[in-house]
Amino acid sequence: MADSPEAIKKSIRLYCIVGFILFLGTVITYLVATVPALDIGRHGFDVYDCILGLAIAATKAGFVLLIFMHFNHEKKAIYWMFASGIIMAIALAGLTALAIYNPIFDPLFYSGR
Amino acid sequence: MEIPYIVTPRKDTGLFNSKIAIWLFLASEVMLFGGFFSAYVFLRLGADFPWPERTLPVMPGLINTFVLIGSSVTVVFAWASLKLGNWRMFQLFMGITVACAGIFMVLKGIEYNVKFHHQAVRLPDFTVVEGHLAYEKDEKGYVLNHHGKKIEENMIFVEAKQLNFSTVRFHKPWVEEFISQAEHRNAKILLASDLNLVTEFGKPAVTIGKANEPLSVELLAKIKKAYLAARAHNAELRTDALRLAWREKKAEFPDKKDWELTRDVNVDASKLELLEEVSTVTFNVDPPAKFEFKPRDIKEDATSSRLRDDTVITGPLLPSPMVFHHMDAVDFRHLAMRAKAKGQDPIKAIDDSWLVQNNPFVKKAWEWNKLQVAKIEKELIDGYGRDEQGKPKREPIAKERYRLGWKEFAAIAEGKDRGDADIKMREEFLGPDYAKRGDETFPEFSLPREKVAFASKFTPTWNTYYALYFTITGLHGLHVIGGALVLAYYLFFGRKMFDENPEWLANRVEIGGLFWHFVDLVWIFVFPIFYLM
Amino acid sequence: MSSHPSTAHGPDAHHDDHHHNPGFLWKYVFSTDHKMIGIQYAITAMLFLAFGFYLMMVMRWSIAYPHQPLPEWMSFIFNDGWKARWLLDGKVTGETYNMFGAMHGTIMVFLGIVPLGFGAFGNYVTPLQIGAVDMAFPKLNMMSYWIYLAGGLVMCASFFMESGAAKSGWTNYSPLAGFADGQIVNQWLAGQTQWLIGLVLLITSSLLGSVNFITTIINLRARGMTWMRLPFFVWSMLVTAFLLLLAFPPLEAAGIMQLMDRVLHSSFFMPSGLYTGAQGLADLSGGGSPLLFQHLFWFLGHPEVYVLLLPAFACVAEIIPANTRKPLWGYKSMVYSVLVLGFLSFIVWAHHMYMTGMGAAVSTFFQTTTVLISIPSVVIITALLISLWGGSIRFTPPMLWACAFIPMFGIGGLTGLPLAFNLVGLHLHDTYYVIGHFHYVVAPGILFGFFAGVLHWYPKITGRYMNSSLNHLHFWPSLICMNLIFFPMLMQGMAGFHRRWYNGGDAYMAKTQDSANVFANTVAQHIDMNLIMSYGAWAMAFFQIFFIINLFTSWKFGRKVTSDNPWNATTLEWATPTPPGHGNFIDEPVVYRGPYEYSRPDHAEDFIPQWHKPVAVTAPVTDPKDPA
Repeated sequence: MADSPEAIKKSIRLYCIVGFILFLGTVITYLVATVPALDIGRHGFDVYDCILGLAIAATKAGFVLLIFMHFNHEKKAIYWMFASGIIMAIALAGLTALAIYNPIFDPLFYSGR
Repeated sequence: MEIPYIVTPRKDTGLFNSKIAIWLFLASEVMLFGGFFSAYVFLRLGADFPWPERTLPVMPGLINTFVLIGSSVTVVFAWASLKLGNWRMFQLFMGITVACAGIFMVLKGIEYNVKFHHQAVRLPDFTVVEGHLAYEKDEKGYVLNHHGKKIEENMIFVEAKQLNFSTVRFHKPWVEEFISQAEHRNAKILLASDLNLVTEFGKPAVTIGKANEPLSVELLAKIKKAYLAARAHNAELRTDALRLAWREKKAEFPDKKDWELTRDVNVDASKLELLEEVSTVTFNVDPPAKFEFKPRDIKEDATSSRLRDDTVITGPLLPSPMVFHHMDAVDFRHLAMRAKAKGQDPIKAIDDSWLVQNNPFVKKAWEWNKLQVAKIEKELIDGYGRDEQGKPKREPIAKERYRLGWKEFAAIAEGKDRGDADIKMREEFLGPDYAKRGDETFPEFSLPREKVAFASKFTPTWNTYYALYFTITGLHGLHVIGGALVLAYYLFFGRKMFDENPEWLANRVEIGGLFWHFVDLVWIFVFPIFYLM
Repeated sequence: MSSHPSTAHGPDAHHDDHHHNPGFLWKYVFSTDHKMIGIQYAITAMLFLAFGFYLMMVMRWSIAYPHQPLPEWMSFIFNDGWKARWLLDGKVTGETYNMFGAMHGTIMVFLGIVPLGFGAFGNYVTPLQIGAVDMAFPKLNMMSYWIYLAGGLVMCASFFMESGAAKSGWTNYSPLAGFADGQIVNQWLAGQTQWLIGLVLLITSSLLGSVNFITTIINLRARGMTWMRLPFFVWSMLVTAFLLLLAFPPLEAAGIMQLMDRVLHSSFFMPSGLYTGAQGLADLSGGGSPLLFQHLFWFLGHPEVYVLLLPAFACVAEIIPANTRKPLWGYKSMVYSVLVLGFLSFIVWAHHMYMTGMGAAVSTFFQTTTVLISIPSVVIITALLISLWGGSIRFTPPMLWACAFIPMFGIGGLTGLPLAFNLVGLHLHDTYYVIGHFHYVVAPGILFGFFAGVLHWYPKITGRYMNSSLNHLHFWPSLICMNLIFFPMLMQGMAGFHRRWYNGGDAYMAKTQDSANVFANTVAQHIDMNLIMSYGAWAMAFFQIFFIINLFTSWKFGRKVTSDNPWNATTLEWATPTPPGHGNFIDEPVVYRGPYEYSRPDHAEDFIPQWHKPVAVTAPVTDPKDPA
């Protein structure tokens, strides 16, 4: 990572901006979760809140990964290594959950639990 | 011999060794936390109890999120300072990073501590009561036990007349407890009868213990030794006898298969010189004394209780209520869930529950809640309207219908509506201020032992949600400590490296920083999942 | 000593201080040299294998003669106190059988085969074959070994405790594994708990090792060693390392959760309303899921079997070309197959769980991926088989084992195919058929591959050949005994024999000739096979003695090699002195061609090693994509 001093100085501005975005994202998550007026979907926690919360978290995580961890200009080999971890983690969580849900053949699944 | 590419990247891959290593390690960490998160998904979807949504106090988690994000920013600045050759700025930013880690762990420690001191109990009808336990008090003040400590009012009391220890399985610390407690009560534990055993085959019996000899670990150890020797001797004799019996039987019936002969091949114990095996030892308690036990250690019964190390305590069970100094929550959600599953009206089930019937405070609070729920329903209908079938578009959630948390108790005491109580910032971190709010807000509550179906503090034992919470945040906390140690190492001991080979140090700090960002990444998911969902 | 002009001297040079006179402790015990560590792994793993083998012999006694006391020759090593606790009148009890069974599986898989394949062969050969001076992180490598040893000792120490060792199957399913040994007041002294602690240590060791391997293979290849010039051995080790890296952590998570269930009384895997005979209604919150443990366990469990297998493929793939004087057939297909195999192995795990009541959609998904994964394995084994065709086969000692590997692993793999289908799995799950299948793969399959590897690289490590006659005395009886032991298992399994019966089926057998109980009759028809299998097992134990004798006597008295490349092989490890010194290569190795240049028509000699400079240069020596 032999960046020149000028490049690093420019990056510092970028880091500040991203840091601010992360703070903002946290505040937004907190407000959406606690302020009743901002409650989407059904009253209280439901699948829409879940998706929104995870989406905000994923966006924040994306910023940390891409900017702070320099993932945006990392080598392809590193992309593959880290991506394989994420893909397998999703496979684990997804297939394990699907084992108790049975979306294709179970008629009860669609009529609500 | 030098390993290449420790600092300088290799030309075709463009990477140096530790960079590859740290990303590989982070991929494995993704799988580790992925395993835990998939456990979370699985256990939450399959939970057979109402999942505690948004039960944790959010404030400590929120502040920790800001702290960790801030430390992520400063660690990048620290690395940038190193690349620019500025040691002072590196020290400053790295110092802030490590300090943030410290703040994070302190807040976490406070959170954990509050939970570990908070008690929860589930009644047989699935009502849940939460609060702080009382310490035993008499006219003079706190009662101290045989160790000089206060006694938390969640103990099982048995008036023991006789103790029966398992020779092999007795648990030494518990035996010492018995001796200590007996001394405290001015009672003696004495061997019930003479114990004469043959310890060595061929030699005469030895007196291992005399009647009325006091209980001691050494005595039990002696008996155990004799028992094990006898057991070993007997096993050897019986094995040889069985081998001989088989040989004889097979010689007698050479054509028969083994399974045909099995029933007839036996060890004739009367023909063998076996030693006596004393597997239990009885002691009398003189005079019968009151012993106290932790609920987890004992399976209590009206006349004869049993400890987990198979010690049998003969004697009547004394009243052993669980006493709350401050009850601060009542939760009917599980009861309501089960009532609905059986097709009953949950409101009626709660009205008829033991707690509402027998505790006027809870009855009053429950009636208050019914009015509050009606209010919320009206607000939601006014705000969001009804759908085509006439059903309200939004309804109060289970937590609003069936759970009275400490904030609701506070609202009741202040005469306000649900959600309108005056909560101080300190209380957002440490829980309700009992001293200030007083016993009228959070009353005393005594629960008879038969009404305790399952109890624990707010620890991994209480339910799978807390088990997951402590495991994941605990593991994350260990990663915070580990990362902070590595970064602190470069902060305090990096000067020499900085002078000799600044690029090497910058690489190391970059690797440490990558780990630190990963720790932040995990927290970014942990916070909403556990605190806000 | 090698010199690397591309590295700066400053940051890397400070390693030189220790290397001139390390002293016994640093040279042999806490060595950071990959070769010494490889040998440490090999010796430790073989000792654990022998121990696991012994446990199996006792189990086979219980199966063959369930009502008779253990004979003297098997029980003399136990002291009287131990026998009194664990044997009933000298007979193997169910509890003891379960304990031995669980530990046999654990020791063989985690303490035997993986360390031998990945830790021993991987560590010793991989840096040599890529032309590196050592692993990328030598100190980490040393720690990997010592953590492995610690984990193994922790697991085995529990045999001597009151609770005994773990006894809930090598798969350690909750809720049984959460409760077994629950009566021990101090849970940290319970065998089940220590199994989990040992497991966490082993996983840590594997993770550190896999990081090391992958970094080394990516970054420390010699000049000219492009990806497609890597020996298949190195590709196998690379995929194995990735499997360990990504598949082990969920098991670590499951292990931590089960540990918390035992010690902190959580209910991750404990369902509500659990009632046991010993403790009555469990004092737990409930709400947990035993199924979750199975998912997390098998998420590792399936890639784990490929971790067992790939090092054996690796060894055999090196030995066959060297002994047929022909290139490995289908090298490129084999490389792509092993990569696909690695990827697919992560998404097949629930074929171990067909009986758990998964929905049809998900079990069909796993059935499909499982059948798919047979394709790359078949490609690889077929390529190995075709590699023999038209070759000039020399039946050297390693070649005997490598040739036996192919049909034996073939049987193992083919018997796995019925198990892939969820419908057939319902019938065969937890029967001896499964045991027969996986033992065929591991015992006459993988272990034969490792014997081949030991014989193949022994001359490089010691400078002497192992004795061929002793090898014949080891090989032929082992081959026969393996089939005697495991083939009847396939038949018993289809007859319905359950895999965890401790009395060989005696309890279920029809005691009269005309019993109306069909199952009991079937058991009675197949129960005599137990005797053949048990005698086969004990005979096999005897014949391993020849291998042990061979291993030790050849060190001092074996026929000396006459060159650094006794097999006339082409891969880089044969370019080192014998044995390779610190730093491995005398001059920095440069690679000019692929790994299996045997019998080229345009060349006089029947092999061209990778490191020999080309004589007449007509094309660029190095790969244009790799200017290094």
